[in-house]
Amino acid sequence: MAAAGLGPARLFLGRRRGAMRALLGLARGLASGPQTHFGFQNVSEEERREKIYQVFENVAEKYDVMNDSMTLGIHRVWKDILVHKMNPSPGTLLVDVAGGTGDIAFRFINYVHSIRERQLQQKLKRHQNLSWQEISKSYEEEKVKPLGDSQVVVCDINKEMLKVGKQRAQHLGYSEGLSWVLGNAEELPFDDDKFDVYTIAFGIRNVTRIDLALQEAYRVLKPGGRFLCLEFSHVSNPLLSRLYDLYSFQVIPVLGEIIAGDWKSYQYLVESIRRFPPQEELKEMIEDAGFFKVDYQNLSSGIVAIHSGFKL
Amino acid sequence: MLRGGRGAVAALRRAAGSRGAGGQGRGQALEPSLLRFLVCPLSKRPLRYDESTNELINEELGIAYPVIDGIPNMIPEAARTTRKKPPADEQQFTLTGCYS
Repeated sequence: MAAAGLGPARLFLGRRRGAMRALLGLARGLASGPQTHFGFQNVSEEERREKIYQVFENVAEKYDVMNDSMTLGIHRVWKDILVHKMNPSPGTLLVDVAGGTGDIAFRFINYVHSIRERQLQQKLKRHQNLSWQEISKSYEEEKVKPLGDSQVVVCDINKEMLKVGKQRAQHLGYSEGLSWVLGNAEELPFDDDKFDVYTIAFGIRNVTRIDLALQEAYRVLKPGGRFLCLEFSHVSNPLLSRLYDLYSFQVIPVLGEIIAGDWKSYQYLVESIRRFPPQEELKEMIEDAGFFKVDYQNLSSGIVAIHSGFKL
Repeated sequence: MLRGGRGAVAALRRAAGSRGAGGQGRGQALEPSLLRFLVCPLSKRPLRYDESTNELINEELGIAYPVIDGIPNMIPEAARTTRKKPPADEQQFTLTGCYS
C-alpha cells in the first residue's frame, strides 16, 4: 500500500502517530457506527465525513493554486481530456457532482459554446442568399441562446468550495446555463432520469459511501445517459510507482504547507489516493450500480483514470 | 374562543419560524431553471419554492431548505422543520397555555 522505505524517520513517526490516532479512533468508533478510513487512519463514517468537510473548508481558497502546483498544471490537461471524451452537444444537461470550484463546468460551457458558434457559422455560410433580416435573426439567436439550451448544475457538499466556484464564475464571466446546488453525492436532491451526463472529477475519492453515490448517479441520469468519473488511480509500473510515491509523500504535503499553510490536509489527500480502489475494482463497483459498457482510460500511466458507464 | 387562541398561536409560531429562516434566506433568490431538477433529497418528492422566505418547502415531511446567496442548501441536516414541533422558543411556551 504505502510508501515503504521512504524518508524512514518521518514516516515512522507518522505511522506511530497514525497508530495512536487509529486506536483512539477505534475506541470512539466502537460507539459511533461502521468503521471506515480517513487516509491511513481508521474512523467512523460520521467522523470521516466531518474530517473531509474540514479539509475542503480549509483548502477551498487555495484549491486551484494547489492543483496547479501539485500536478505542475497537468490537471488542466486531464480535465480537458474528460470534457473532450464527453463531447457534449448543445442542449446537453450536465450534473457535475463534487464540482466545487467549477473546473469541469466551465470547460463544458466553453466546449458547448464553441460548437454552437460553429453551428451558427455553418448555417450562415450555407445560405449565401440570406436577407439582412435573416442574417440578423441568426446573430440574435446566438445572443439569446449562446449555449443552445445546454445547462450544467454544479453540486457540492462544501459551502466554501461552492463559494469559491461562484466567485470564479463571476470573475470569468460565466452566468448563462450554470447553477450551483449544495448537496450530498450520496443523497442527491435531483429527480430521477433528469441528466444526460453525470461527472465527478477528483471527488468520488472523498465520498464515504461510494456505492450510494454510484446508485444516485444511476438514478438521476436519463436512460442513455453517461457516467464519467475522473479520479486518481493506481500506477502499475513499479519504477514509476516509486517515483510517484516519493513525490506524493515527500513533496506534496510540503507544498501544502508552503502554499496553503496546511500540511495535514495534503497529507490526507495523498493517503486517500492510496486508499482508493484501483481501476478494475472501481469498474466493478460502477457495474454493480447498474451501468453498462463500463470502461476506463488511464491517463499519465495510471496516475489518473477516467471511468465511463452508460445507463441503458 | 379556544379555536381563536390556537389560530393565534399557530400564526405566531409560523411567523417566528419563518422570520428565523427568512433572515438567512434573504438575499439572492433561487434561479428558476433549477426548479425543474430539484427535489427533496430525502423523499425525492417535489418541492414548493416560497419566494417570501426564499426556501424550498417539502409539504409532506414539513421541512424547508434555505436558499443562501442564491445557492439552495439541500443537505437534510440544514433543513428547518415547518411543522409544529416541541418549541425551543420561550415565547411559544408561554402561549401554549391556551393551546390544548
